[in-house]
Amino acid sequence: MLLKVDGITKAFGGVKAVQGASFDVKEGSITALIGPNGAGKTTAFNLVSGFMRPDEGTIQFDGRRTERLSGHTVARHGLVRVFQTARVFTQMTVLENLLIAARHQPGEKFGAAWLMPGRTSRREREIRREAEERLALVRLTHLTHERAGALSGGQRKLLELARALMVQPKMILLDEPMAGVAPVLGEQLMEHIKELREKAGITVLIIEHDIDLVMSISDRVIVMDEGRVIADGPPDAIQANERVITAYLGRNAGAAA
Amino acid sequence: MLQQLAQLTINGLITGTILGLTGVGLTLVFGIQRLANFAYGEYLTTAAYIAFIANVVFGLDLVSSALLAMAGGALLALLLHFLVLKPLRGRGLVAMSLITVGLGMMLRNVIFLVAGPQIRSLDIDQTRVFDLGLIRISPGQALAIGIAIVVAPAVALFLSRTTIGKSMRAVADNRDLAAVTGIDVERIGTYVWLLAGALAGIGGVMLAIVQGTFNPNLGTQILFLIFTTIVLGGIGNAYGALIGGVVLGLVMELSTWEGFAGGLEPRFKSVLAFVVLILLLLYRPQGLFGKERVL
Amino acid sequence: MDIFNPVFWIFVATTGGIYTIMALGLYVQFSLAGLPNFGHVAFMAVAAYAMAILVARYGLPLPVGILGGLVAAVILAILVGVPALRLRADYLAIATVAGGEIVRYLAMNLQGLTGGPIGSIGLLGPGKIATFNGSWQVFMGDIAFYLKPIFGKYGRPDTAMAIVVWVFAFAAILVLWRMERSPWGRVMQGIREDDTAVAAIGKNVVGFKMQALIIGALLGAVSGMLLALQIGVFSPDDYQPTITFYAYLIIILGGMNRIWSVPVGAILFTLLYTGTRFLNVYPLTLFDSGERAYLRLFLVGLLLVLFLAFRPQGIFGDRRQILEK
Repeated sequence: MLLKVDGITKAFGGVKAVQGASFDVKEGSITALIGPNGAGKTTAFNLVSGFMRPDEGTIQFDGRRTERLSGHTVARHGLVRVFQTARVFTQMTVLENLLIAARHQPGEKFGAAWLMPGRTSRREREIRREAEERLALVRLTHLTHERAGALSGGQRKLLELARALMVQPKMILLDEPMAGVAPVLGEQLMEHIKELREKAGITVLIIEHDIDLVMSISDRVIVMDEGRVIADGPPDAIQANERVITAYLGRNAGAAA
Repeated sequence: MLQQLAQLTINGLITGTILGLTGVGLTLVFGIQRLANFAYGEYLTTAAYIAFIANVVFGLDLVSSALLAMAGGALLALLLHFLVLKPLRGRGLVAMSLITVGLGMMLRNVIFLVAGPQIRSLDIDQTRVFDLGLIRISPGQALAIGIAIVVAPAVALFLSRTTIGKSMRAVADNRDLAAVTGIDVERIGTYVWLLAGALAGIGGVMLAIVQGTFNPNLGTQILFLIFTTIVLGGIGNAYGALIGGVVLGLVMELSTWEGFAGGLEPRFKSVLAFVVLILLLLYRPQGLFGKERVL
Repeated sequence: MDIFNPVFWIFVATTGGIYTIMALGLYVQFSLAGLPNFGHVAFMAVAAYAMAILVARYGLPLPVGILGGLVAAVILAILVGVPALRLRADYLAIATVAGGEIVRYLAMNLQGLTGGPIGSIGLLGPGKIATFNGSWQVFMGDIAFYLKPIFGKYGRPDTAMAIVVWVFAFAAILVLWRMERSPWGRVMQGIREDDTAVAAIGKNVVGFKMQALIIGALLGAVSGMLLALQIGVFSPDDYQPTITFYAYLIIILGGMNRIWSVPVGAILFTLLYTGTRFLNVYPLTLFDSGERAYLRLFLVGLLLVLFLAFRPQGIFGDRRQILEK
C-alpha cells in the first residue's frame, strides 16, 4: 500500500468534517474518492496532503508517517495535490509555471545566483528541457510564453497537472479535475491521467462527481458520507452496494431524474 | 494589598470596557468591510476633541458633550466610508489597510494643526476623590463607570436581540452565507460604520475622561491595544471583542498587583499586551473563542 | 536655507540614500515576497540601539557595534516571523505593528539600558554625555581628505557620508536585482501570488518568507544605523511608527515592481521631507517649524491615499498583483 489512512478525524469548531475515516490506496492504482457534498472529501485531501493536521488518526505514505508533516514536506516525499480550482501563477508565463515547480534547483538558495551561477544555469537548462517535454505532453506547447492568466479554465487544469508532474510525484491527488472543463479538454485530461499510471507508474487518487467517469477510469472506489468511509471496493461492487445507493447514488439518480 | 487589588480591578474593568466597546466597532468593520482600519484611533481622537469643544469651549455638560462626540464619531465614520473607502473597495486587504493608515495620518495631523499639540482636559474636577472604603475613585472614573454600565449592556443587547444587531454578527461571521440568507449586506455595512463610529466616540470620550488629559495622539496610543483586543476575541466576533477587551484590561492592570511577585512595573503594561498578542498569534490565531477556519 | 545651497543637497542626498536602503528592505519583504510589514521601523531602531549601546556603554569598536546591530535585527525578525509568517496577511500586519510598538516602549522605558526618552545621549546614565559615532566621524573625515581634490571646499565629512551611503545602496540594489531574476526570485514571485500553490509544489514557503523578512530586516538595520550615525544623537522619537509608512510611500511612489525605482521614490520623498522642513518659500512660510512636522505627515498620508487610490502602479511602472490580493 502506498498510502494508508487510519482513523483520521478533523473538526472545525465542533463540526466534525471527517470522523475516523480509514482507507488505503494501492501503488499504481487509480482510486476514486466519491461521496455527496459535505461528505468530507476535500477535508480528507487537505489532511492527506499535509495542508491540515488531523486531530486524531495516522497517515502513512510510502512507508513514512506523514500526519504531522507540513504540506511542502509531504509534496517533497512525492505526494502532490492538484487543487479544485486551478491555482496557476497567473502573472507568470506558462513555462515559468513549470520551471518554478522543478526540484533540486540550487539557484533557489539565496545568493546562489551570485555564488554558484554555473550550477544554477546548468540545472536551469535541464529543468527547461523537462518543462518543454511536459508541455508537449499536455499539448500546451503553443502557449509556452503566454501569461498563464490568459489561459482558459481547462487549459489551466492541464497546466497545473503538468506543474504537479514537475515535482516528480509518486502519487497525485486530483480534486474534481473535470469541474469547469470543456468536454474536449476533459477527455484529454482523462487520457493523461490514465497515461500517467501506465507510463510513469504514478498512483492517482481522484475526487470526482461524474459517476460514469469514475466507474470507467478507476480500479477502486472509496465512498465517504458524513465524514466516514462507508464503502470501499471495485467499481462494480460499489455500484451494487445498498448503503452507497441510499447515501449517494440514489440521491444523485433522484436529482438527475 | 487587597485594597490595591480592588483598585486595580476597577481600573482594569474601565480600561477593559473602553477596549471592548471600541473593539466591537473595529472587529465588525474588519469582518464586514474586510479591512483593518488603522484610522480607527483617530475616530476616538476626533470624538474626544468634539467633546472638548462642546464641553470646554461652549460649556455644555459632559453628558451632552459625550452624545455629540458619539454623533461626531458616527458621522466621521460614515463620511470616510462613503467618500473614500467605499469607492475604493476591491483594492485588496493590504492596499485598503494602507489607505486607512494614510487617512489616519491625515486626520491626526489635521487635529495637530488645528488644535495644537498642547494637553487638553475635559471639564471634570480632577482633585476630588470618592472614598468607597476599599477603593477610591475619581469623578472621571465614576463617570466612566456610569457610561460603561449603561453602554456595554446596551451594545450586548443590541447585538443579541435586535434584527440589525443579529444581522451584523451574521455578516461579520460569514459574509457570503449571510448574503445567501437574504441579508442586505450593503445596508448592514453602512449600519456597522455608524455603530463603529459611535462606539469610537464613546470610547474616545471615556478614554479622555479616565486619562484626565489628552493630546492628538490619544487614539493612536490605544489603537494597537484595540487590535490586540479583537485578535483576542477572534477577528469578526463582536461578543469576543467585548469579553476580550475586559480580559485584556484586567490582565494589564492586575499584572501590576504586588501580590504577583511584586507586580509588573506599570509602564510595562502595554508591552505585556503586545506580548499577549504575539503569543496569541503563535498559539491561537483564531482568538480565545473563535473556531479554526478553513484556509 | 535655500535650494541653491549645496549643503542642502548634500543633506538630501544622504537622507535619500538612507531612505533608499530602508525602502529596499521593505521592497524585499513586501514587493518581492508579499509580506505586509507594518513595523519596519523596529528593525531600524533595534539595530541603532544595539550599536549605540555596544559602542557607548561597553566601549566596543564601531564595527563590532554594527555587527551587534545586524544580529539584533535578525533576532527581532525571527521573533516576529515565527508566530506571524504562517498567518494571513492582515495578521502579519498587526503582528509587525505590535513588534514595532514593543521595541519603542522598551526603548522608552528601559532607561537603564537605552537612556529612555532622552535617547542615546543618556546611555551612560544621568549627568554623563554618551557618544557612539566618534570613530565614524573620523572615518568620514579620512574619506573627506581624499575628496578634497575633487570636491574642493565641499570635500567634507557629510559629502563622504553621502557617497558611502549611495555606494552601499547601489551595491544592495545590484545584488537584489540579480537575485530577483534568479530561481530564488521566481519562488518569491510565486509566493507573492499564491503561497498555498507554492507549498503544494514542495517549496518551504515559511522558510522563503523568513529569508525575505530577515534580508529586509538587515537592510532596515543598516539604514537605521546610518540614520543614527548621521544625526549623532537619537531618541525613540527618531524611530516613530510613521517611518515605516515613509518606506511604503517610497516604494509606491516609484512603482512597486521595479527595484530601480526605489531610489527615485526615495529621492522624491526626501525632497518632500526636507523641503517642507528647511525651505522658506511660500506657502511654507505660513507654518512654523513645529507645524511643519504635522504638515509633512499630513502630506505623507495624503500621498499614500492618493497613490493607492488613483495610481497604485506608481509614477512609472504597471501595477503588481500584490496590492490586489
